[in-house]
Amino acid sequence: MKNVIEVKHLTKSYKSNKAVDDLSLEVKEGEILGLLGPNGSGKTTTMNCILALLKFDDGKIKIFGEEMSPDAYETKAKIGVVFQEVAVFDELTVYGNIDYFCGLYIEDKTTRAQYVNDALKLVGLEENKSQYPKQLSGGLLRRLNIACGIAHKPKLIFLDEPTVAVDPQSRNNILEGIKKLRDDGATIVYTTHYMEEVEILCDRVIILDHGKIIASGTNDELKALAKIEEKVTIEVADLSPKQLGGFEKIKNVSEVEYDNGVLKVVYNKGKNNLGDMIEYLKTNKIAYSKIFAERPTLNDVFLELTGKELRD
Amino acid sequence: MFWHNYKYAFKTLIKNKALVFWTLIFPFILAILFNMAFARLHDYDVFEAFDVAVVDDQAYKDEKVFSEAFKSLSEEGDDQLFKTQYVSKEKAEELLENEEIEGYVYVADGEPRVKIKTNGLNQTVLTTATEQIAQSAKMIEDIAMTEIVRQVGQEVDVAAVYQNAVKIVSETEPNVKDESRVMNMIVIEFYTLIAMACMQGAMLSSDMMNRCLPNISNRGKRVAVAPTRKSILVASYLLAGYTMLFFSVILLIVFMRFILGVEFGANLGLIIALAAVGSLTATMMGMFLSIILKTNDAAKNVIILIVTMVGCLFAGMFGGMKNYFDESLPLVNKISPVGQITDGFYSLFYYEDMSRFIVNVVSLLAIAAIFFLLSIRSLRRTRYDSV
Repeated sequence: MKNVIEVKHLTKSYKSNKAVDDLSLEVKEGEILGLLGPNGSGKTTTMNCILALLKFDDGKIKIFGEEMSPDAYETKAKIGVVFQEVAVFDELTVYGNIDYFCGLYIEDKTTRAQYVNDALKLVGLEENKSQYPKQLSGGLLRRLNIACGIAHKPKLIFLDEPTVAVDPQSRNNILEGIKKLRDDGATIVYTTHYMEEVEILCDRVIILDHGKIIASGTNDELKALAKIEEKVTIEVADLSPKQLGGFEKIKNVSEVEYDNGVLKVVYNKGKNNLGDMIEYLKTNKIAYSKIFAERPTLNDVFLELTGKELRD
Repeated sequence: MFWHNYKYAFKTLIKNKALVFWTLIFPFILAILFNMAFARLHDYDVFEAFDVAVVDDQAYKDEKVFSEAFKSLSEEGDDQLFKTQYVSKEKAEELLENEEIEGYVYVADGEPRVKIKTNGLNQTVLTTATEQIAQSAKMIEDIAMTEIVRQVGQEVDVAAVYQNAVKIVSETEPNVKDESRVMNMIVIEFYTLIAMACMQGAMLSSDMMNRCLPNISNRGKRVAVAPTRKSILVASYLLAGYTMLFFSVILLIVFMRFILGVEFGANLGLIIALAAVGSLTATMMGMFLSIILKTNDAAKNVIILIVTMVGCLFAGMFGGMKNYFDESLPLVNKISPVGQITDGFYSLFYYEDMSRFIVNVVSLLAIAAIFFLLSIRSLRRTRYDSV
């Protein structure tokens, strides 16, 4: 697969603060690349530099093999952008908004009408097309924002935190829509601080912190960095120091934490850790009310690499 | 692409309630209120002369042209404006204190002045009339003096020179004895209102610019990533704003002329041309302010309102301040678009000679060009420090 985006040594500062620090990345054709990081990590700044909206101090950016610039109109025609902030006209209907923004890319009215209807269908706003933005809920407004950015059927789509503050139904709709865009052949750059979305959606993930890439790879590759195989959580009302010490001696256990009646046991290896744990509790006559196992998350990766939670 | 932008920009403008109110409805409301307030002055059959006093001292007697003109306005008849008592300064003060007169006129340092106790329509009429008589008197004296200087070395016929000067002034300035002298004040209010409508239209182009600059709005970011040239975007947006403004102003003029009966003179083409140039200047001012003010839409609109209203005050809205500012701060109305638009309509109505009107139009075009050139500097930027 060829590279759709190539960014080399991108550096962008706001006065003395480096928002993006010597960042290099590539985006392959047809993939969904997740840019994951906490607020202020440089995701949006990176995106705005790639889109030639922002000046940057150093670096090279190519899109579809061409150097990106504000005058690269042919390249821009292949790009769709959904910004974090909703940017629509209150005075236009849902249909009017999509038609207007689509019209900045597609001149032919017949083609445009078809594209607008396709976009309405994709985001599930067909029944709302005559409504005005103020009549829409927050979730539906976000969907309209997405439709305005992708109606012209771009080959490369940037989505900047498109699910911030939306209801679960709209979030599912948006995520399904993004998958469909990828299935239809689009390459997608998806920035978010929701690790769950990245895990569901992205083929490859880049984790950013303080404007730098701290890790990149597929979900599995990244989770391998966390050095955690499984986490078992047990609700135990009472536990003596001797019993607690016993857990630390279990094979493959790397960490034990007991707080407020909740015991967390972290395994760095092993496949049937939950079964073994239940057996251990039974053997040692330790009463428990709940027990469950979790696979490591990207938050664990972030915690491992930076020493802080992703949402800190 | 241009017409697609233009169509949607125009559509969003006419549906924007706040902009429609400030640029279209508000001037109409003011026009109606002005008309109600000045209704008495329109109808001369019901206009009643009111009591004033003149401090009849030597200084007043020395102002011959002024005192004669003022006397003529106090003579009984259809054109009588004042019931004048000629008294001492002390008596005038007493009359004013006892509210037996609306105000009194006196001369100090060779300048006729007015003293009033309260503000009202009669007081405004007295002040305006006094200012205009004084202006005309000064003009007569200047013309006469020029003629006398020209004739140095010859036998000067002072009486003939004076008569000639009066004739020149009466032909070039509105006849101070004519009822249009009072109308003068009223039409300036209406002309200033049109100028205000033009300049408040700067909100339209300000709004238009907000939506195509990525460092100003989110919609600006969205259009900046589209494959549309900035020049096309800006031109189509500004043309949409200009179209709406121009037709709003024309509508206002039609309403004033045919519903309220405000006089604009006979040259319809030049009236439309002035409205077009005034709207252009406002459009450029809106573009400029939108680019330099890094704040939200509402704050920009407040600033445009303040700039416009201050211009209106200087240009003569709110009761005959035009002459005062023309004398004390002559540059202000020369560089103020509101002042130039007001003066342009005034020139069209009062003067046969087009030179003053042409100066107004050229000044407005020059102001528009300055705003445009200053704006272009920022617009040429293609990437931003922050968005």
